[in-house]
Amino acid sequence: MKNPVKLKVAAAAAVSALTLSACGGTADAGSGQAANGAGTTLTVEHAQGSTEVSVSPETVYTFDLGVLDSLNSLGVTVAGVPQATLPESLAAYEADGYTKIGSMKEPDFEAIAAGAPDLIIISGRTADYYDELSEIAPTIDLSVDQAAQVESFKDVSTTLGRIFEQEDEVAERLTAIDASVADAKANAAEAGTGLVVLTSGGELTAYGAGSRFGLIHDVLGVKPAADISADGAHGQSISFEFIAETDPDHLFVIDRDSAIGESGDAASAVLDNELVNGTTAAAEDNIAYLDAASWYLVGYGLGNVEAMISSVNDALTN
Amino acid sequence: MITATPPAEAGSATARRRFPALHAVLAVLAVVALSVASLFIGVSDVSPAALLSDSDDGTAGRILLISRIPRTLAILLTGMAVGVAGLILQLMARNKFVEPSTVGTVESAMLGILVVTVLVPAAPLLAKMGVAAVFAVAGTALFLLVLRRIPLRNTLIVPLVGIMLGGIIGAVTTFCAYRFDLLQSLNSWMIGDFSGVIAGRYEFLWLVGALTAAGYFAADRFTVAGMGSEFTTNLGLNYRAVMSLGLVIVSLISAVVVVTVGAVPFLGLVVPNLVSILIGDNVRRSVPWVALLGAGLVLLCDVLGRLIRFPYEIPVGTVLSVVGAAGFLYLLLRSRRRVA
Repeated sequence: MKNPVKLKVAAAAAVSALTLSACGGTADAGSGQAANGAGTTLTVEHAQGSTEVSVSPETVYTFDLGVLDSLNSLGVTVAGVPQATLPESLAAYEADGYTKIGSMKEPDFEAIAAGAPDLIIISGRTADYYDELSEIAPTIDLSVDQAAQVESFKDVSTTLGRIFEQEDEVAERLTAIDASVADAKANAAEAGTGLVVLTSGGELTAYGAGSRFGLIHDVLGVKPAADISADGAHGQSISFEFIAETDPDHLFVIDRDSAIGESGDAASAVLDNELVNGTTAAAEDNIAYLDAASWYLVGYGLGNVEAMISSVNDALTN
Repeated sequence: MITATPPAEAGSATARRRFPALHAVLAVLAVVALSVASLFIGVSDVSPAALLSDSDDGTAGRILLISRIPRTLAILLTGMAVGVAGLILQLMARNKFVEPSTVGTVESAMLGILVVTVLVPAAPLLAKMGVAAVFAVAGTALFLLVLRRIPLRNTLIVPLVGIMLGGIIGAVTTFCAYRFDLLQSLNSWMIGDFSGVIAGRYEFLWLVGALTAAGYFAADRFTVAGMGSEFTTNLGLNYRAVMSLGLVIVSLISAVVVVTVGAVPFLGLVVPNLVSILIGDNVRRSVPWVALLGAGLVLLCDVLGRLIRFPYEIPVGTVLSVVGAAGFLYLLLRSRRRVA
């Protein structure tokens, strides 16, 4: 229980720093706060500027699976999602009833224009298309900043809360997440070192603090088994000897080959060898296979972050 | 069969032969030195001192057996085999600018692995290799068939046909991988990497070693078969049998290498050409050189990849692309100078 208070202060500061202003009508400042309902708009500050967005927009398209996860868990209807093999928790969106607005990386402009959405939400993978999409409909870029993942995730969630008039609900969820972060931190303090490894086609990549899976070290406080220099979002190619030599107490494995078959099956076959079996993590049965879709595809969403934290927490208290 | 070197030529051949004799010793020594270096370079502390000291609890020796020796052997076997496979394909296609990864062999093997992975994800490695090999044979055979239909076998048309065929097969592969969310896995097959090699993960490469030996003994036949079916039959050889043998050797080598370490680019192109410049075109004589140079080049690139970002690694495929591209450019510029 190190400093949940500090975290909350940070969260509050982040929220207040977010200049969100609700105003009645578009330029009609004189009318003041209009009653909630159709036609009300607010200005959303996001990664690529500020955009006028109507409150509780009806037709929402999102390219970001984290945002989709958040909206899904807030009970907001999302009308358009990218064409992708979605993780189990979001598999319902693969149905025909939802407009397919392109791939995870490339928008299908015609489908989007035809659907006439009220709001388009993009993020890192589709950030480059901001200008084109803005011409079709109000577009906001809710990328999570890799350098300050949790604060940024809270900003994004709060923004979503404002747009969809669920601020209280979001605040509650964030408080709950703070609590589980504090919980995991307390466990991490006694759990020794950890190493995050991604397996792909029999080869290994290690991820350190500040990487795309940095949450484990940066936020949950698992002590890194090795000082792996952060190289953007990508990891460092390593050998089995590297794992043997760093000898982590906990091994967190993300299986990139699990697109077909069970998550972790391919990875456990790769890791079952004498070098890895000689580590403390293997000896104490501390090899955790993290859900690839949850960590690799969805990332920061209100429901998913809870799941990610609890998977690490389970591994630490195992 | 006719003996390789007619005795009448002995006089003029001695001068040429003395050159390889000295250089052969040097080249073998260089590869041995690189192999020893490869045994002692890595994350864990394995040095001659650590191996001999009593204080060590045997860890160094264990690492040597589990990780270093298998890796070094895998590199040597791969380097030899991929170089020789390139040479054989060049003989069969009668063109010095083709290699398994530019005519569709490697692309077909990848398509094969992909198909198995999608249909039977739990298939054992041997099954994956088998299917990859069948696809590789089909892809290479298609290339050779197309080649036979082309009336004017222009030096440039042949590699172009190969690149086009490879491109089509590669496009199909990429599309399937995209639809099944396997693009990332495909990527790891496309870039050769020995970082995952440990005892128990490379043994199939011995098969590749055996195929290389077979390639050596049949080397002259491939040259003859490259001259066409009538020419081959006139010399009393079974054209179809020889072509099939070559096809199987090249395809099996490509499939096994792709499945165990991933694609090794440029090697099959650069090494045979380099050898042909150095010692000429006597095939029987150039096979050992191709094997030696191939092994040495892959060793060098893998050691470099291990050192550049120590303790992390750069895949050998990436290093080889840089070194191989530079080598190929050198060959092109050199040949132009000779013409001009």
